[in-house]
Amino acid sequence: MQGGSSGIGYGLKYQSRCISDVKADTDYTSFLTGTLSLKEENEVHLLRLSSGGSELICEGLFSHPNEIWDLASCPFDQRIFSTVFSTGESFGAAIWQIPELYGQLNSPQLERVASLDAHVGKINCVLWWPSGRCDKLISIDEQNIFLWSLDCSKKSAEVLSKDSAGMLHSLSGGAWDPHDVNAVAATGESSVQFWDLRTMKKVNSIEHAHVRGVDYNPKREHILVTAEDESGIHVWDLRKAKVPVQELPGHTHWTWAVRCNPEYDGLILSAGTDSVVNLWYASATSSDDKTSESPVESTRQRVNPLLNSYTDYEDSVYGLAWSSREPWVFASLSYDGRVIIESVKPFLPRI
Amino acid sequence: MATEAAPMDEKAKRMRDLLSSFYAPDPSISTSGSSINASFDNINSTSFDADQYMDLMIKKSNLEVLLQRHVQMAAEIKNLDTDLQMLVYENYNKFISATDTIKRMKSNIFGMEGNMDQLLQKIMSVQSKSDGVNTSLFEKREHIEKLHRTRNLLRKVQFIYDLPARLQKCIKSEAYGDAVRFYTGAMPILKVYGDTSFQDCRRASEEAIEIIIKNLQTKLFSDSESIQARAEAAVLLKQLDVPVDSLKAKLLEKLEQSLDGLQIKPEEASTLVEDDDSSNDTESNDQHPAKIHEDAVRGFSEAIRAYREIFPDSEERLFKLARALTAMHFEYMELYIKKRVSAADFLGIFRIVWEDVVLMDEVLPEAALSDLSAEAAQVTLKQFVARMFSHLQQDISDTLLKFDINQKEAVEGELLKVVLEASQKAVLQGTTNIFQDFRQLLDEKTGIFIKMKDLISGWIQKGSQDFFRSLEAQFLVLSGKTSSSNDIEGKSSDKIHAGLILVLAQLSVFIEQKVIPRVTEEIAASFSGGNSQAFENGPAFIPGELCRVFHAASEKLLQHYIDTRTQKVSVLLRKRFKTPNWVKHKEPREVHMYVDMFLHELEEVGKEVKQVLPQGTFRKHKRTDSNGSNTTTSSRSNTLHNDKMARSNSQRARSQLFETHLAKLFKQKVEIFTKVEFTQESVVTTTVKLCLKSLQEYVRLQTFNRSGFQQIQLDIQFLKAPLKEAVEDEAAIDFLLDEVIVAASERCLDVIPLEPPILDKLIQAKLAKSKEHNNNTVSS
Repeated sequence: MQGGSSGIGYGLKYQSRCISDVKADTDYTSFLTGTLSLKEENEVHLLRLSSGGSELICEGLFSHPNEIWDLASCPFDQRIFSTVFSTGESFGAAIWQIPELYGQLNSPQLERVASLDAHVGKINCVLWWPSGRCDKLISIDEQNIFLWSLDCSKKSAEVLSKDSAGMLHSLSGGAWDPHDVNAVAATGESSVQFWDLRTMKKVNSIEHAHVRGVDYNPKREHILVTAEDESGIHVWDLRKAKVPVQELPGHTHWTWAVRCNPEYDGLILSAGTDSVVNLWYASATSSDDKTSESPVESTRQRVNPLLNSYTDYEDSVYGLAWSSREPWVFASLSYDGRVIIESVKPFLPRI
Repeated sequence: MATEAAPMDEKAKRMRDLLSSFYAPDPSISTSGSSINASFDNINSTSFDADQYMDLMIKKSNLEVLLQRHVQMAAEIKNLDTDLQMLVYENYNKFISATDTIKRMKSNIFGMEGNMDQLLQKIMSVQSKSDGVNTSLFEKREHIEKLHRTRNLLRKVQFIYDLPARLQKCIKSEAYGDAVRFYTGAMPILKVYGDTSFQDCRRASEEAIEIIIKNLQTKLFSDSESIQARAEAAVLLKQLDVPVDSLKAKLLEKLEQSLDGLQIKPEEASTLVEDDDSSNDTESNDQHPAKIHEDAVRGFSEAIRAYREIFPDSEERLFKLARALTAMHFEYMELYIKKRVSAADFLGIFRIVWEDVVLMDEVLPEAALSDLSAEAAQVTLKQFVARMFSHLQQDISDTLLKFDINQKEAVEGELLKVVLEASQKAVLQGTTNIFQDFRQLLDEKTGIFIKMKDLISGWIQKGSQDFFRSLEAQFLVLSGKTSSSNDIEGKSSDKIHAGLILVLAQLSVFIEQKVIPRVTEEIAASFSGGNSQAFENGPAFIPGELCRVFHAASEKLLQHYIDTRTQKVSVLLRKRFKTPNWVKHKEPREVHMYVDMFLHELEEVGKEVKQVLPQGTFRKHKRTDSNGSNTTTSSRSNTLHNDKMARSNSQRARSQLFETHLAKLFKQKVEIFTKVEFTQESVVTTTVKLCLKSLQEYVRLQTFNRSGFQQIQLDIQFLKAPLKEAVEDEAAIDFLLDEVIVAASERCLDVIPLEPPILDKLIQAKLAKSKEHNNNTVSS
């Protein structure tokens, strides 16, 4: 990776949709990924970037009972993660733990810490609070949002509160505000909803169609980025949620996921069903200057925000993750199970 | 030569010394400061002591030196004697002449004394006679002076007594200057004796003066009087100590009130211009409003001129009045051009205003009305140019939006074609008309316009640049591609019809390829000046940049149209895949309804595209061009078929997955997302590709049982034939359709495809049903 222009690859045996950065691992740059195979034994792979940064090593391979639709690593314990899985007919969510000394075992088994058993329909995702130690979890199915209390020592999880989004809204995912532990954004078919976890009520919404992915800006408060099917990417200031602060073109087909860089403000990754990963730089993240400009001036000052396109994929890219340990490194996962690690160092804004 | 010169110089020097010593005023002074040693050696000084000198010589010197000294002194003595004789000889004649002159003077002076004595005697006699005459006339002269003083006093008294009658006479003959002069002259006496001896005269005079003051004030305020007469009245009033400031204030109030009648208000402006036009037809018409206005302004100017001559020392308020009128003219003109105003009408009003300025400028050149008007005229004209472009943009927008486009009408009546042609005409004809109007501005002969010719060209260039950029931004706002500022207040506009987005895209192409070159020619031909003065950064109109802007806008709008259409199909597909329980799906009996809806959407896209976009010349990508795909597809079908007979479920799944990966490797890599062109075929093909990709993604999100998988298989099989007819890239469509089948098989718990005969039977039934439905539609 130091001298080469192409990324580092790793192939999973089966299809896969989700990849997560192991934020709690401060010794190595690590990622967790899980397979999505309907008829085969599914696996969770612990991938580690070698010290020289030139090779991606499978540090651990663990069996998982069902196909994995969502996977998220615990931000404060590197051996704990959550999965959303499906048996084909029903969905489930659970918290897992990687056993100690897994390198010395012949076939290590994941330990189930807790099951999130309150859901009825399809479960979309499980959210951990990204900014530090928090013993609460959020799970989102198509109609409900659950707030859980997790006790790893007792290996149990309890429902603290729950509320329904109503029949008219079908939730598809969400993100937890890194600046406010009581604020969550949930994506739906026709809007992005903002929930207050203390009252478990919806407090605000952005009326926008077909939002498929959402992420908060970790360096700047009130800034949210959304990924939409045909409309591309929008940057929003939640204090003025009527009109986006900035629009980015997105992808030729759907834009599936967006991720804000944990360190460099304005740097955004997007993954799409056109088999492309795009790197953007959204410099205008404040709406104060934007509204005063006329459309002509705005058009004239527009600079191409696309920094680079990564096109080494042969299938739709669903999984996308920045590394917290090395913020210029990201991992991407296409549906055919191919993981590619890339560095964006050449495109970092000059400081 | 040198030897001869030295003695001559010494001789001359010696001569000068002898003469200077002879004529020296006081020899002792010149030698008072000399020292003792100097006096000893200097034998020419007056204090020289010969004995002391000899003693010193004898003591100091030997014999040889003494002899040498003796010889030297003897030589000098001889020389001095010779020089003295020469001097006397040379000047002897002069001495003789001086003696004769002195002798003659002596004889002349001797006779003068007698003459002086005679003169003295005669003067003494004259003085005695003069004293006698003065003594005899003194008494008579004093008497005459006394009588003269009495006469003057009597004349004054007579004047005072005659003053009232004299003033009355002046009033009758309107000789006010004389009256004021008489009264002013009599004022000191009236002040002193007005209460005693001349009381009646004072009262009568004051009454007469009051009449005069009243008459003078009447004359001052009268417009029928001449300027000189009114000025004289003001001067006389000042002399009579009448407070003139109040008069001045009254006159200014009158002038200020007359300003209202001089304003050209917006509602009156068109009347002025119309009547001005009609006056050309009937030259005898003297009462049209433009003439009336000109007369009013001319009267105002004359009033200013009169005021200035009456009160020469207070012009500042006049300046303010004139400037106020000028500023108000231009303010009303700005209001006037807010409405839709033609260049001819604008020039008509401008001509009238400029004539007003010229009239007042002749009277008050110091007020700098020309400079003030030049600045205001620049602002007004600049706004007029910008307003013209703004109206043109409004016309184009109205043309695009005045058709109430709904779904059925747009397709059946070919309304999109009408909208496109109307909007193209609006842009092209509108720009042509606007430049004709601008040419009138350049052809105007009014003085201020000639000075502003370069500025006008610069404004038109910048106005053109801003117009096109604003138009492009408006297109994006109309299409919903970018958010308008109105959305901030929460007023979101209605969702625009997708066909109009297509019209906007094609209109952008038209503007890029036809309108901007035309405008460039217009500007190059008529408005090419003004760059060096108005814009230091370079030319204001950059057609290359505008073409790039509209090219990007057209591509953006075309992509937006495709996205909008694809999104509609995506919503349809989402509902389709969300509703049934795919894990417990029943056996397929017929092609699903959503396939009909999908094809209907594509048909509408085809109709819209046919109205707006040209037909492409690309060769259709035939199936025979991709033999590899054909072979692989057939091979996979056989594989799927054979799996049913021989293997268990898990073995079949593993084998199929391997087969799929192997097939992908050998399959010709098909470029799915290519650049979309401005042709009917390209737009339809791109739309189909995106819709099929959406279909694939929705399939991936589900889990199917055998029947669900077979339903997908049936629907996709049915779609192959009509999609092949619609698109230009068969290979990509085949690839995408196969991908949907593959995705469904990957998400299927029990992959057993439908038998080909069953597929054919169900498809034929669907086709027969569609045909019957079409026949019923035609008959009804």
